[in-house]
Amino acid sequence: MMSQSQLLTTLTHAPADAVKLFADALIPELGDVQVLVNRTGLVMLPYTDSAYGTRFHLGEVLVSESRVRIGQGAEGYAVCLGRDLEQSLAIALIDAAVQAGIATERITTFIDAQAAAQRAADELLLRQVEATRVELETF
Amino acid sequence: MYIAAKGGEEAIQQSEHLYHLLNGELTIDTVRMIEKSMPYLVDRVMGEGSLYSPELAALAIAQTGGDLYEAVLLLRAYRATQPRLAYAQPIEPGEVLTVRRISAAFKDIPGGQVLGPSLDYSHRLLKLDVLDGTREPQEAFQPAEQPAPPAYPPVAGWLREQGLLAEAKADATQAADIPDVTTENVLFPAPRPHRLQAMARADTGGVLSLGYSIMRGYGLIHPTVNELRLGHAEVTLTHPVTGEKFSAGRVRVSQCEVVSPGGDEKGYAIGFAATLGWNEVKLIAASTLDLDMASQDGDGAKHPAHEEEFVMYHTEPVESSGFCIHFKLPHYVTFASGLDNIRKVIQATYG
Repeated sequence: MMSQSQLLTTLTHAPADAVKLFADALIPELGDVQVLVNRTGLVMLPYTDSAYGTRFHLGEVLVSESRVRIGQGAEGYAVCLGRDLEQSLAIALIDAAVQAGIATERITTFIDAQAAAQRAADELLLRQVEATRVELETF
Repeated sequence: MYIAAKGGEEAIQQSEHLYHLLNGELTIDTVRMIEKSMPYLVDRVMGEGSLYSPELAALAIAQTGGDLYEAVLLLRAYRATQPRLAYAQPIEPGEVLTVRRISAAFKDIPGGQVLGPSLDYSHRLLKLDVLDGTREPQEAFQPAEQPAPPAYPPVAGWLREQGLLAEAKADATQAADIPDVTTENVLFPAPRPHRLQAMARADTGGVLSLGYSIMRGYGLIHPTVNELRLGHAEVTLTHPVTGEKFSAGRVRVSQCEVVSPGGDEKGYAIGFAATLGWNEVKLIAASTLDLDMASQDGDGAKHPAHEEEFVMYHTEPVESSGFCIHFKLPHYVTFASGLDNIRKVIQATYG
C-alpha cells in the first residue's frame, strides 16, 4: 500500500482535470461529506544558500488547501499549487477515501498510472536536458 | 496658504475607460497566452512580486498592459489579502530538479555542465519572416538515450573539498524562525536571510544597474560565475494531522554563485543569490552585489553599491516605483508654498 506521502505527492502533480474526474466518481461511495476547510492561502518557501549555508525566504507560493470528513469519520487533507479549490478538494476526498479503506484498489491503480506518467515525463525532460550536455575545451 | 484639490471624478473615470479601450479587452485567452508563451516575463513578475502563481502573474501582466511595475504591485497587493497557511521545508540546492547548470570558472565540475534551455549561443537576429506569415520550422529535437542526473551538488561544495573556500555553517533554523523582511523591520547591518530575501524579490533592473556598476569598475571584485542553475523545486509540506511530508507541487527556481579571489580565510570569496522563477541576469548581478557587500562588511563602504542599506532600499520594486510615480500626482499645496516664496524673493530682489 502506498504511503500518504506518495499519494498526496502524486495527486498534486497530476493533471487537475483527471483528478477531479476520478474524485467525482468516488463521491457516491463516501457518504456524507463535510468540507472543513476549502481556501486559498500562502506557503512561505525557504531556500538554503549554498555559499554560507544560510536559510532564507525565497518568496511565497499561492496554494489551495482542503480538509474534508466523510461519512465514516475519516478525514482527508490536501494542499496543491494554485487557486483551484476543486483540485485540492478532489485530492482531499481521495485521501479521505484511502483513510477509510474505500475503493482502495481503484485508487491505487489510478495513483500508479499517474505516478508512471509523471516518471515518464521527468525522464523525457532529463533526456532532453542530457542532449544539451557540453564538454568544453581550453586552448 | 492652503489649497485643497478636489473634483475631476468624471475625468478620472473616463481616463480609466480610455486606458482599457486603447489596450483592448482583457480576456482569459490573453492571460493563458501570456502564461504559456512568456514564461520568463511571468517568472520576473513572480520573483519581484514575491508570489509564485504563474496564472496570477500572467493576469497581472495582461491587466496592466505589460507595465511590469504595476503588475508586480498587483501581485504584491493580492498577496496581502491571503493568509499564510504554512512554511515549506527549506529547499536544498542539491535536491533541485536541474535543467540547466553551467560554470564559467571550471569546465569540468562534478556532474558536468548541461546548457539546458538557453539562447546564450544563438544569433540575436529578428525573425522577420514570421511577420510575413512564415511559420517557424519546428526542428526535430532528439533527446539523449540516457537521462541527465535529476540533481547535482552545488559547485561551492566542490571548492570547499579542495580547500579553496571557507566552510559553510550548517543552519538548523526552523522555517518559521527564519528572519522575514515581509513581517519584520529591516535593520542594518541586516541579517543575511534579510539580504538574500530582499535580493530574491528585488527589481531586476535595479539589481542589474548596481551590480553592473561594480562589474565595470566601481567595485573591488571581478566576479566569475562559479555556478548558475535553473530548475524545479518541490514545495514540501507537513500533513497537519499525520505529520507525513508531501510535495504540493513544483516551482521554477534559479540560483547563482559567483567567486572572486581574496576570501578572508581561504582562497576565494563567494557571493550567492536565488529567486523564484528563472532570471539569470538578476542573479549574476545580485550575487555579485552579495559578494561585494560581504567584502565591505564593517570596513566602511566606498561606493553606494557596496552598501547593504543602499542596495536593499533602492532595489525594492514596489517602494521605488511607487515613490517615483507619486511625483506625477497633484502636489499643488507644497508647490504653491514654494512658488509663493520664490515670488517674494523675486519681488524683493528685482522689484
